[in-house]
Amino acid sequence: MIRQRAGDILKLRIEPLKCICCGLCEVACGLNRDSVLTPMTSSIILHIEDKSDYFGLVLKSKSEGLVVARPEGTASGQQASGSSGPGAKPILLREPCDLCGGKPKCAKACPTGCISTEG
Amino acid sequence: MYLRNGKIGIFDLSAGEPSEQEFSEELAKDDVSSIRVAERLAAEHGEDSLVLGTGLLTASFVPAACAGILWSRRGLVPILGHAGFELKMTGFDFIVVKGRAERPGYLWIRDGMMEFVESPWTSASDSWKRTDKIRSDQGDGKIQVLSTGPWGDAGKQAAQLVVDYWGGEDKVGMGSELGKRNLAAIAFRGMGEIELAEPEKHFEDSLLLIRDHVFRLGKSEGLSSFWKGADRDDFRKLLHRTVACYGCPYPCRSYLKVFEDPREMRMVEKEPGYLHYDVPALEKCFAYGLSASDATISLMKCARAGVEPASLLDGLLASGSKVGIKEVEAAAAKPSDIKNARAMNFESSFSDIEQYRSTLGLGVCPRYWSKIGFNFELLASYGQSAYGSPIGPA
Repeated sequence: MIRQRAGDILKLRIEPLKCICCGLCEVACGLNRDSVLTPMTSSIILHIEDKSDYFGLVLKSKSEGLVVARPEGTASGQQASGSSGPGAKPILLREPCDLCGGKPKCAKACPTGCISTEG
Repeated sequence: MYLRNGKIGIFDLSAGEPSEQEFSEELAKDDVSSIRVAERLAAEHGEDSLVLGTGLLTASFVPAACAGILWSRRGLVPILGHAGFELKMTGFDFIVVKGRAERPGYLWIRDGMMEFVESPWTSASDSWKRTDKIRSDQGDGKIQVLSTGPWGDAGKQAAQLVVDYWGGEDKVGMGSELGKRNLAAIAFRGMGEIELAEPEKHFEDSLLLIRDHVFRLGKSEGLSSFWKGADRDDFRKLLHRTVACYGCPYPCRSYLKVFEDPREMRMVEKEPGYLHYDVPALEKCFAYGLSASDATISLMKCARAGVEPASLLDGLLASGSKVGIKEVEAAAAKPSDIKNARAMNFESSFSDIEQYRSTLGLGVCPRYWSKIGFNFELLASYGQSAYGSPIGPA
């Protein structure tokens, strides 16, 4: 379980085993940043190794650096191990999550509750 | 223009050169169905063209907006998973492929550009190796690869196009359409953007629809939520995770692990199993007495070779052979002239083929929308906030 804080009020929580790989979070994040459909500016991206059915999410957060939410667990920090996968590289160049100013669109779009908010 | 890139790419393999034409707002509004646009483009560029394209709603927020298409005279193939989404983000709405390359290679599409990359190595590789190598050579694991295997290279009618690693979409022998053009694969990655007329309204309205669907459908159990044939003990015991296509809240894809414990969540084995969504292939496997494990291995062998599994199994039976993993492996390794079974997978979602074409042409998944109840007017109304004007007719 990953928690991202906005001040002391809001928390973003990721439970990777609930992820179904639909990608809505990625596109919702891009929509918040640029008001267009694009996965390229998202602060949250799908990490997929499809041949082995291994997938989860990578989040660039302000407080914890790069957060890698993998099926077997999570790790955070700029040097998070396992973050060198192909999907993780470009996220280092992106803006960190700003929680959409208090109403995270990724959590709103997630159909399974994999991403949720607390607080 | 909203929901569209406004650009059609044309690649003449014989000349080795790309060109472009405008996909104007007027043209786009004439026909919202990607299938009819593809047919029109083929009429313009030559009936032997291959046309790859996306629907108006592909990549939008309406539920299951994952679908693209690949059209040829041979038939129509849905392009699902994340491939439809990625294709839309390449900067092209449609790609027309003409001619035949002098030497084997693949078409590489991204950032509004197309190039033909020669690949002498493909003649010795199966479809999985093609996907692996193209992703590795181009340095991005999210590249979508539509590939042929040895069966497509040999131009066999039972050849199956493989999407990344999985078969299931192509039931018309599209693999051989690529093979006859010396085209080992079509690879693409979407890094562009699509404008929406009313982004916030489209997002909010679509989420209401998704929530309503989730409430009505509950939690998906994967393929068994769509097909009772998968609701068997040996299938359930091998289930690792269920996997959705882009934008789908109720996935039909079940990944079964056969070479490691299905409960293993770490990435240990590189090729531990197979992603099932090919109903007619599994139906045939079970009818011929294969277990879920043997069916999984059989489909894996077929996908690597690029042969349609139902056709292969029928061919085995017709030749008087036993049907087992060894026989499937041996037959898959030797491309032959077996008949294409023309089995229907996503096509059978609706009893009415026109409804299938309507959903697919719009860019949404036929299997999902048959489950929830396809309603063109409803979809069009939710798409209107993204498109900026009324959508129709289907």
